[in-house]
Amino acid sequence: MIRYVCKYTPIELFAGFGAECAVLDDIPENFDLSDGVAHANLCGFGKSVIEAVLAGEVDELVLVNCCDTMRRVYDVVRNSEACRFLHLIDLPHDGGCGRESFARELLRLKAACAAYTRREFDRKAFAAAFSPPSPAVEPYVGILGVRAGREMEAMMRDGLALPVRNLTCIGNRAVAAPGASPENGKDETALFMEYAGALLSQLPCRRMNDTTGRKQLYNDPNLRGIVYHTIKFCDYYGFEYAEIKSGLSVPILRLETDYTLQSRGQLRTRIEAFSETLSGLGGRERIRMNKTGKYYVAGIDSGSASTDVVILDNDRNVMASIVIPTGGGAQSSAEKSLAEALDLAGMERGAISRIVATGYGREHIRSGGESITEISCHARGAHFLNPGVRTVIDIGGQDSKVIRIDETGAVRNFVMNGKCAAGTGRFLEMMARTLGLSLKEMSERGLSWKEDVVISSMCTVFAESEVVSLVAQNRAVPDIIHGLNNSVAAKVAALVGRLGLEGDFIITGGVAKNKGVVHAIEGKLGIKLYVCDEAQICGALGAALFALD
Amino acid sequence: MDLVKTFGGWIQDLSPRRPETARRLLLAGYRAQRMAFSVAPDRALPPSKRYVAGVVMDVVIRALARPESAAMVSLFTPCEPLFVAGVTPFSVETLSGYLMATRCEKAFLERTADEGVPETMCSFHRTFLGAAEAGLMPKPKFIVYTSLACDGNMLTFPYLQRKYDIPAFFIDVPYEKNEEAVAYVAGRLREMTAFVEGVTGRPVTEEALREAVGRSRRAAESYRDYLACQKERRLAGDVTSEMYSVFTSHILLGTKEAETYNKMLLEDIRKAPKSGAFRLLWLHVIPYMQEPVRTRLNFSDRAFICACDLVYESMIPMDETRPYESMARRMVHSGCNGGADGRIEQAIATAGLTGADGAVVFAHWGCKGTLGAAQLMKNALEGRGLPTLILDGDACDPSNTSDGQVATRLDAFLEMLEEARR
Repeated sequence: MIRYVCKYTPIELFAGFGAECAVLDDIPENFDLSDGVAHANLCGFGKSVIEAVLAGEVDELVLVNCCDTMRRVYDVVRNSEACRFLHLIDLPHDGGCGRESFARELLRLKAACAAYTRREFDRKAFAAAFSPPSPAVEPYVGILGVRAGREMEAMMRDGLALPVRNLTCIGNRAVAAPGASPENGKDETALFMEYAGALLSQLPCRRMNDTTGRKQLYNDPNLRGIVYHTIKFCDYYGFEYAEIKSGLSVPILRLETDYTLQSRGQLRTRIEAFSETLSGLGGRERIRMNKTGKYYVAGIDSGSASTDVVILDNDRNVMASIVIPTGGGAQSSAEKSLAEALDLAGMERGAISRIVATGYGREHIRSGGESITEISCHARGAHFLNPGVRTVIDIGGQDSKVIRIDETGAVRNFVMNGKCAAGTGRFLEMMARTLGLSLKEMSERGLSWKEDVVISSMCTVFAESEVVSLVAQNRAVPDIIHGLNNSVAAKVAALVGRLGLEGDFIITGGVAKNKGVVHAIEGKLGIKLYVCDEAQICGALGAALFALD
Repeated sequence: MDLVKTFGGWIQDLSPRRPETARRLLLAGYRAQRMAFSVAPDRALPPSKRYVAGVVMDVVIRALARPESAAMVSLFTPCEPLFVAGVTPFSVETLSGYLMATRCEKAFLERTADEGVPETMCSFHRTFLGAAEAGLMPKPKFIVYTSLACDGNMLTFPYLQRKYDIPAFFIDVPYEKNEEAVAYVAGRLREMTAFVEGVTGRPVTEEALREAVGRSRRAAESYRDYLACQKERRLAGDVTSEMYSVFTSHILLGTKEAETYNKMLLEDIRKAPKSGAFRLLWLHVIPYMQEPVRTRLNFSDRAFICACDLVYESMIPMDETRPYESMARRMVHSGCNGGADGRIEQAIATAGLTGADGAVVFAHWGCKGTLGAAQLMKNALEGRGLPTLILDGDACDPSNTSDGQVATRLDAFLEMLEEARR
C-alpha cells in the first residue's frame, strides 16, 4: 500500500500500475522514534511520518516537497532505509510557470513506479481512477488549515451539530480527468502535460505562491463556521489564520495541536464550545426547568487548579459559593465541594433541583445533571456580573482564554492559549515557587516594584532559570515579579489582539486576585478591567445560571 | 547606563505611536554609529572587518533613508541586476539583525504575536513583519524573492507585497541540481532583469551585468583562498563580522564593496599569525548578539569560527560570459537547495579546506530546513571524524533561548575538543 501526504500527489498514476494507495494521516501517541533521529521542533505531521516509517507501519511512501519540514522528512526517511519504495515529488510553487517541469516530475514518478511494480502503465485503469468532486449542498462547518488527522476529524464530527467537510490541505482534492478519453489518443507527453495542469489547477494549498484562489473556501454560501486547524511549527497555515481571522462572515475556531491527541480534553472543550457558539449550545435539546415556588440549583466548575461550586435560588440569589483545590480526581473534588457548599447554605443534597457541571472535569462528574463548556459558562457568569461586558479575560490554572460576548451574554468568539503554560496561573505558580513565595505574597509584593526588569523567556523552564539568575544578581524581588506579571500580560494581550479590543472588559479566574497581573494587563492593553469578588467563581456561577433555564 | 538598550527602548516606545519619528531616530542612531566606524573604528579588528561593518551599515541606512530606490529581497536572491539598475537590496536577515542588535526587536516580535503570526516562525521574519506592521519599515520600490532555503520567504514577501501594494517578482528554484534546473532559473532571471528594468526605468545592459558577475566571481575566488589560509592562521575578529560576510556573499555579491572586502580579508589573513586555536565550522546563522557566544568566540585564542556555511555556500565558480547561468547555478547548486546531502558534502569539503576541528550546527528556532537536517549533519560529520555540536537557540529572539544553556553546551564542546587533543 503506497501512502501519500499531499493532494497534489498523482494518485491516479498509482492506479495505472494497479497499486493501492491511501493518505497517511494517522495521529501518533507520541514521537519517541522520530525524536531519536530528528529535531523535536519540526512540525508534528512531519514527525508523524517519520514515526510511522520507523515503527514499520509504512514501507511504500510518496512524499511531496511541500515545505522545509517535508524535504527534511524525506532526507531522514531515506537515511533510515526503512522504505522499500520512497519517492519525493518536486512540486512547483508557481502553478502556471511550473506545469512543464511538473509534467517531467510525473513522468519521473511513472518510471519509478514501473521499475518498482514491474508492470506496464494501464491507461484505462488510470482514466477510471478519476472521480468528480462533490459540491456542498447543505450548510456545513469546514475544517480548514492543515490536515487534522483521522481521529481529530472524527472528534469534530462528533462534537459539532452541523455536517463537517474536510477542506484542509489534504482534504479538498479535486482533479479533473485530462481530456475526454485519456486512455487513448494522446501521446504520453501531451497526456502528462494535461495531467500536470489538472493537478496544479486545484484550489491552491497555502504553500503556493499565489493563494488568491483560496478565498472561495471562505465565501461558500453554505459555510456556517470554520474550524481552523494549525500544527505547531507549521507556519503556513498559522500565517493564513492570522490574515483571514478578522475579515470573515462566519465564526472561526482556531485549534492548534502538535499533531498528537495528548490534549483530548482541551480539544473537546473547544469543539463543544464552538458548537455552542454556532447554534446555541450545539443545538442540544435542553429540558426547561419546569418548577414553581422556591427551588435551588448548583453549578460546579471542575478546573485543573480548583473546583468551585455556586448554589443559586430561583431568583438568582447566591445562596453559597465555595472554592477548594482540585485533588484526588474531578468526581471526588466535585462531591467534596458540593457537600461543603451545601453545608454553608444549610441545605441537604435533595434540595438541589438541578446541577450543571463545567470545566475540564465536567465529563467525569456524575451529578445527574448536564455539562456545558466553561467558555459558555464564563460568558454567562460574566454577563450576570456586569451586563456591559463584551470581553472576558479568564486566566485559569492551565488555560487562559479570551471570550467575546454579545449584549445577551452569548459567546460570539473565543481564543485560548495552546498547550504551553506561559500566560497561565500555572506559570505564576511555578515562578512563585522559584521565588519561595506564596501566590498571595507574590500578588502583593509585585506592586511595589521600582525598576523595570524584562523576563524575555516565554518558556516556563527558561523563565525559571532566568528568575534564578536574576535572584543571583540581587535584583529586587518586586522588580522580578513585575517582570513576570508583564510576561503574562504580553501573552494575554496577544490573545486579546486576535479578537480585537472591545469593551467593557472583565477578568475572571483565580489570577484575577493578583493585582500585579491585573495592572500589567491594563497597562499593556490601555484598558480598565472590571474586577469583582466573584471573579474566581464566574464559571460555576454561569453553570448555575444555565441550570436555572 | 547601557546606551544601546536605552536607545532601543526609545525606538520600542515610539514605534507604535509615531513610527515616522521612530524611523528618523533609528536612522540618526545608525548614521552616528556609521560615523563612529569611520572616525573611531574598533582597533582590535583587522582592516577588512572594520571595512565590512561600514559597508553593511550603509545598506541599512540607504534602505531606511531612500526606500524609493531600495528593494526587499530574500537572502538568496542574486542581486547583480539590481546593482546595475542602481537599486539597494535589503533582506529580512539584514534589517531584523540590525533591529535585534539595537535591542528593539521585542516590540516588533510582540506586534506579530498580537496579529496572530505563529510564534514558531523564524524570528528574523517575525521581527521584519512586525517592523512593517508598525510602520517603522518604509515602503520599498519592489520585492524580489525566491523559494530557496527558507519557507518564511513564501509567507513574508507575498504578504508584504499585498500590504504595500508594490510589484514583486518570484523565482521558484527546482529541487534537483541539474542543467535543466539551471536553464529554467536562468530564464527566470532574464525575466527578473526585465522586471527590474520595467519597474526602475533603468536599463540593465548585458555588459554591465557581466561586469557585476565578474566581481562576484573574483569575490568568490578571494574567499576560497581566504578559507584555505584558515587552516594555518587565525585572523582576529568577532562573530558579528562573520555574520556581515553572510550579506556580502549574498545580497551584496556583485558589488565593488563585496569584492574589495574579500580581497582585504585575504590580504589580512596572509599577514595574520599562525594559530593552534580550535577551528569551528559553523552551520547556519550565528547568534552574534548572544553573550556566551561572543565571550567564547570573539577575539579568542581558544576557538574561532573558521567558516560559516551561509557564507561559503554561494562561493562557487562563476563565468561572467554567461551571467544568467552563473547566477542560476549559484541558486540551484546552493548547499541549501535540494536534499541535506548537498549541504553535508559542502560542509565536509570546507572542513577539509579550513582544517576544522569541530562543527556547530546552530538549530535556529523556526528554521525547519536546518532543524530537520541537524541530526543527519551531525551523524555524517562525525562519521568523517569531525566532532559536531547541535546548538539549539534563536539568533534573533532572546525569549527562545537561554544564555546558561548555550554557555554550558559551548563550554562542554570546547572541553571535549581539548580532551581529544591531549
